[in-house]
Amino acid sequence: MSLFFDILAGSLMAAGLIFFVGTVTGMLRFPDFYTRMHAGGKGDTLSTILILLGAAVHVSEDFFHDPIHQWGVLLVMVKILGIAAFLMLTSPTSTHALMRAGFEDAHETDETVVDKDQDGPSLEELQSRTWEERS
Amino acid sequence: MNGFILGVALFMLLLVGALLYRVCVGPTAIDRIVAVNAIGTKTTVLLVLIGLLFDDVGMFVDFAVAYGLLNFMGSLAAARYFQRSERRAEADLRHPLPIQSNGGDA
Amino acid sequence: MIWQLDLILLIFLVITALISLRVRDLLGASMVFGIYSFLICLLWAGMGAVDVAFTEAAVGAGVSTVILVATVYHTRRVTGGHKRASGMKVLSLLLMLVLGGVLLHASGDFPALGDPTSPANDHPVAQYYIEGSYQDTKVPNLVTSVLADYRGYDTLFETVVVFVAGIGILAVIGVPTARMRREEVCGDTAQFGEDSDLIILQTCRLVVPVLQLFALYVIAHGHHSPGGGFQGGVLFGASYILLALSGGLREALRRLSESMSFRLAACGIVIYAGFGLLCMALGSSFLDYAILDSILPGGVAMARSHSMLIVEAGVGFTVTTILFVIYANLATRGKLEGGL
Repeated sequence: MSLFFDILAGSLMAAGLIFFVGTVTGMLRFPDFYTRMHAGGKGDTLSTILILLGAAVHVSEDFFHDPIHQWGVLLVMVKILGIAAFLMLTSPTSTHALMRAGFEDAHETDETVVDKDQDGPSLEELQSRTWEERS
Repeated sequence: MNGFILGVALFMLLLVGALLYRVCVGPTAIDRIVAVNAIGTKTTVLLVLIGLLFDDVGMFVDFAVAYGLLNFMGSLAAARYFQRSERRAEADLRHPLPIQSNGGDA
Repeated sequence: MIWQLDLILLIFLVITALISLRVRDLLGASMVFGIYSFLICLLWAGMGAVDVAFTEAAVGAGVSTVILVATVYHTRRVTGGHKRASGMKVLSLLLMLVLGGVLLHASGDFPALGDPTSPANDHPVAQYYIEGSYQDTKVPNLVTSVLADYRGYDTLFETVVVFVAGIGILAVIGVPTARMRREEVCGDTAQFGEDSDLIILQTCRLVVPVLQLFALYVIAHGHHSPGGGFQGGVLFGASYILLALSGGLREALRRLSESMSFRLAACGIVIYAGFGLLCMALGSSFLDYAILDSILPGGVAMARSHSMLIVEAGVGFTVTTILFVIYANLATRGKLEGGL
């Protein structure tokens, strides 16, 4: 029984760590502010929630061994889940706020990287087409 | 299990160090702010993990809740800075003021 | 103490200090100070000093970053061009090298970290606190009992210092005529500023009540878990700053105006000092809570525990309101409208 809890907690934490490696790689290697923000905002939230869930499972192991005397552990578990829920609410909000701020900071300069097809039209051609032509 | 948690915490700390590279070399200020936001979230997780290592999570978890709540505020302040300085630049363009000694910012 | 964690954190601390020197953009530099605060807070948590780490997290990583950003908003964002090294810079570099060398040399004489026979741990006063604190005050958290009971006199004056800081900010950058104008205008219509973002507004509407309840929990539960009046007060003040950041300063001022803030701050100090005077009135010395056994229920130890709670509430009042006043004045350069 204890092995089951250990494996569950360990796998949740390992999954969170894998997502965090992806986040950091994205933040270091992507070419542009918007893409970096994308990697940072999403991967960060998910990896944090997974690791916190792993911690909550590890803590609840004491409770399940001895439910009568160790009920205080339930409070700690609820608090950890509370942090995870709270981060799920506020981390995307701060991503949104920073994305908007970055947009207002950089929209007059040409700092963004635009994907271009190899044989497709260039950026100037795309921008000069009218709405009917584009659809 | 304690050894595994220690390994997770150390690995995460090393990855946070990699994020410090983005803080140092972020060409714009927003890159730095995004990296700081990510480091702050990871600090919350690290606090819970340190609690698990000390075998006294109850003591550290209150603190982690407060930290998660406050980390959000720093990013909001920085975002609002950019928003307001954009408005101020626009207002200056529309109503240019003569040079005053007290500053004409509203 | 986990030495691997401490080692990596200390290396990152040095790297962060070097980064903060290299970054020319002042907004980025204030964010780097945020990282510095996180790392120090983790170091202290790693040492087991959770109360100190809590305060550092609340003040350094939360409120201090916001106040720095507000200051950068009103001054320049880029530091001036670095000219060649002038005489003063060389002199200050020499001075720092000499001082740093002296401190490093002196640190060789310190006792080892966590040494139980070091003078701080071995002193009879420390032994008395560790052994006798629970019998005297029935409060499990040693830090709170030392802070609010045994050394309550110091805490009273720390609270007064916070209050004086608020008055000082008002005196230095507060603009009187704009304030009076704002007092008439504020309090009528309930519309949010046109520059507040809908998503941030709604999220903060969900977050602020939770934050305030949690702040009250931290103040009240400071006897049994890390926390206390100061940390809870900072969290409560941060909730008002969050309201100001999301909905506009006018909204936050509508809920807690500046005159009300100063009245509540003064109330906090009156509660604290008044308790001390109450003890004197009942025949004992200033801030000797044991004499309140005749008024409060439960015996001498419980009387001390209850009065510690009331006194911490007073500290919480003062810290909350003064933090909000400092932010409101710094963010708007004293005029309480416009600004960040």
